[in-house]
Formats: sequence, C-alpha cells, structure tokens
Amino acid sequence: MKRMEINITVNGRKHELYVSPDRTLLEVLREELNLTGTKKGCDDSNCGVCTVLFDGMAVKSCTMLIPQANGHSITTIEGLERENSLHPLQQSFIDHFAVQCGFCTPGMILTAKAILDENPDATEEDIREGLHGNVCRCVGYKKVVESIEAVRDGEYSESCGEV
Amino acid sequence: MRFEQYYEPKTTEECIRLLEEYGADCKILAGGTDLVPRLKNKIWRPQAVIGIGSLPDIDTIKVDQNGLELGACAKLRKISMDPSLAKDYKVIMEAAGNVSSMQIRNVATIGGNACNASPSADAIHGLIAMGAKAVIAGPEGVREVAVEDLFAGPGKTVLTRGELLLKFKVEAPKAGTGAVYKKFAIRGDTDISIVGVGCGITLKDDGTIEAVRISLSAVAPKPIRAAEAEKLLLGKKLTDELLDLAAETAENNCTPITDQRATAAYRKEMVRVWTRHAVKEAYERAKSV
Ligand SMILES: Cc1cc2nc3c(=O)[nH]c(=O)nc-3n(C[C@H](O)[C@H](O)[C@H](O)COP(=O)(O)OP(=O)(O)OC[C@H]3O[C@@H](n4cnc5c(N)ncnc54)[C@H](O)[C@@H]3O)c2cc1C
Ligand code: FES
Ligand code: FES
Repeated sequence: MKRMEINITVNGRKHELYVSPDRTLLEVLREELNLTGTKKGCDDSNCGVCTVLFDGMAVKSCTMLIPQANGHSITTIEGLERENSLHPLQQSFIDHFAVQCGFCTPGMILTAKAILDENPDATEEDIREGLHGNVCRCVGYKKVVESIEAVRDGEYSESCGEV
Repeated sequence: MRFEQYYEPKTTEECIRLLEEYGADCKILAGGTDLVPRLKNKIWRPQAVIGIGSLPDIDTIKVDQNGLELGACAKLRKISMDPSLAKDYKVIMEAAGNVSSMQIRNVATIGGNACNASPSADAIHGLIAMGAKAVIAGPEGVREVAVEDLFAGPGKTVLTRGELLLKFKVEAPKAGTGAVYKKFAIRGDTDISIVGVGCGITLKDDGTIEAVRISLSAVAPKPIRAAEAEKLLLGKKLTDELLDLAAETAENNCTPITDQRATAAYRKEMVRVWTRHAVKEAYERAKSV
C-alpha cells in the first residue's frame, strides 16, 4: 500500500518517516527506528509491555496505528537514561530487585513515570491503580510498587537527578 | 493487518463523502482500541480506514448552564478526570473511568465505546443514566437519537451508510437528580463486566421518584433499559421492599448468556444484587443535592 509521511519526535529527536499507515507504532519503533527496548508481548493491548509515553501519557503502542502518532511526541525506555546515569526509576527497579526476566520492565517503568509525573504524591493505591494495565509474570508487583515509592520519596534525586 | 487507503478528513462533509463512497469497505478509526485488534486478527478487512481525529471540535468537552456536549473523540481518561464534570455529570466521569487501564483510557474515545456496540460497554451507561442524545451526521443531514436507541445488536449500531457519530448532548440535570454506574467484574476495571448497572433518579421535593432510568450492561445482545423496574419505581417513595421488588423485576427482565466470565444464572442473580446497589446509591445521591 501507499506509504505516507509521518512526522514524529521520539526521545527528543525529530523523525520524518515514510511508512505504510497499516503498521503499528510498536512496529515502527522497533523495526524502523531500532528501538527494541519497547517489547511486544500479547500484541492485543492486554499485557502492557509495549507501553510508551505519548505526549507524556502512557499508551499501548501495539494497537495504535502509526498515523495516530503523526505530529506527536513519543518517549521510549531508551529516552530515559541520562549521560552518566540511569533514570531514577531505572536505578530504583534494579536496587529493589523489581526485575527478574525484565520483559515487562520497560513498560512498567514508563507507566510509573506517567503516574509520578501526573501525581508526584501518588499513594500505593494510586500506583497500583495506575499499573493495572501492566502484567508481570515473574517478580510480582510488590517490588515494583516499592521501587516506585522510593523514587516518589526522593531517594534517588541526589544520585540520579529529578524524576 | 492490511488496508489499501488511509484518510484523515479535515471536514465533516469530506468524511461523509468518503464514508458514502466506501460503504462497508471502510472503517472509522477513533482511538482504535477496538478497531486495531480486529484489523490485526483479520476479523475485519476494510479497504480503507478513515481517521476522524482531525475533524473540527471532535474531541471537545463543553459544559454550560444548558448542559454538556461531549465530542465523539473525547478520550475516556480526559472525561474521567475533567473537573468541570464533577458537579453535575459525575456518573459520566465514573463510567468512563471504569474502562480498562490508564493506557487504554488515554486512547479510547466515548464515541468508540458507543459505536463499537459491545453488549458489555461500560462508558456509555453514564450517558444513558443521564438521558443523553447521540448526534449523528450523514448525507441527509444531522439527526439525534437517544443513546440507548443507538444499538441494533452485538457490534451493530443504527448508523447507516455515510453516517458518523459527531457528539453527545446531555441536558443539565434538574435539581434533585443523582446517578451512578456500578461495574461488577472479577479483576476490577481491566476486566470486562460480568454485569453493569447504571441508574439515574430525579426526586420531587416530597421525595417521590419523578424520573428514573435503569440501564443494564452485559446481560442482553445490547445495552438495555430495565423498563419494568423503572415503571415500578416511578411516582413512589423508595422503601426497602420496593427496592427488592425493583431489583427482582430487573432480574426477570434480562436475557443474559453463559460465557467464560459467568453463567446466565449467575448473571441474572448479579443483576438483582447490583440493581439494588445502583438504585439505592442513585437515590442517596439524588437526596443529597
Ligand atoms: C485491553 C482492553 C480492555 C478493554 N476493556 C474495556 C472495558 O472494561 N469496558 C469497556 O466498555 N470497553 C473496554 N474495551 C473496549 C474499548 O476500549 C472501548 O470500547 C473504547 O471506548 C473504544 O473506543 P475507541 O476510540 O478506541 O474506538 P475504535 O476502536 O476507534 O472504534 C470502535 C468502533 O466504533 C467505530 N467508530 C468509532 N468512532 C466512531 C464514530 N464517531 N462514528 C461512527 N463509528 C465510530 C469504529 O469504526 C469501530 O468499529 C477494552 C479494550 C481493550 C483493548
Ligand atoms: S504487546 Fe501491547 S499490550 Fe501486550
Ligand atoms: S520481570 Fe519477567 S515479566 Fe516482569
């Protein structure tokens, strides 16, 4: 089918792409931009491993058509790392052993960022509610929630900077 | 997934023209949370997909003293958090907030929830409880239908070739009105409803029920009103006995199926339980305003 021009900003970088509109945002991120940190699990918007930030909001990229992202700004897990350090949430997930196989982790961390960006004082309940759409098959959610609470409580602002 | 053409019309006229031209060979794309999985699984194989996100005012949320207008593409999450709805349209916020996870609500639209015409759709029950109208544009002009009359069967609406849903209109509620939507699902909002019950009640000064709407989700081929139960309540004061009777009547009025989520018998019983909760809570809310 005919390709169309798509303008998207990914992790702060502008891209002008010519892609077929029947592809998903997830496919374009992984296959055109080689950003394979965003995972493909269920591929039908149930598991949350494909979560990215879309103008700062958490969305599931596996069921979004690429034209829907035209003109918008996307953040993937690759966009969180800073020059000499990880993002506070990344570091906290490591320190709290919230990662086992790691497949759900990029999606968990981006959802966590959306939760805290929107509400820096999110309670445990708010965090659990926000994580509703992210499934982890190995760690369980306790460590994930603890990691996010530690960042909320400012435990990483010194080593990693602000969230 | 494959389709031949993607369009993103900038005017309603252009959109209607495309919808007329392609007819059954095209699908409208709003948030895509229902559409895209169906395209991927090849349940639908349209030639063209028509994105409606660039139509003028299509995602507007507007409140004034006359009422509320919700654009078809207003996102469920935005609706669920909009402070301007908190006073008079809380039930619309709550029902929109009952749909799945934050990620889905950030993308899914209220118009998509209606036009997908799922028997278990949640968000539309906020609209039904408040007597909302759907505004439909098509080749013959604009028409309005009550939201509960939008559905023709599972996955089917009354929209005809060339038509699209533009927005919903809700009149500002009369004093003494309260409404609520109750979703019953095993795994909370991420799960599809076993049953859902919406209820809107308006009370007269003396406490008798002046108007009542009860809507049921996931217990019939389409969203339905529990008309017999409503009739029973109208013009009366709510007592425990009346509440029981209304709940029982709603139970006897629905025709659920057995599926992986629940048996028909269990669904019927849950209609009774949740109708009771919903009517009671709507009544309490109506009393408190
Ligand atoms: C994981 C998951 C969980 C879900 N959980 C729930 C849930 O708990 N409760 C619930 O109610 N729903 C649920 N849904 C369903 C879905 O998210 C909602 O129905 C949503 O509101 C659909 O909106 P959309 O904008 O994504 O619609 P789309 O997918 O874009 O469209 C849906 C259908 O409506 C048509 N359409 C859309 N807009 C218009 C219009 N303006 N005029 C005419 N036709 C139109 C489309 O052509 C399509 O056929 C879930 C979906 C997923 C993927
Ligand atoms: S891959 Fe997108 S939600 Fe599972
Ligand atoms: S760490 Fe393996 S799925 Fe979560």
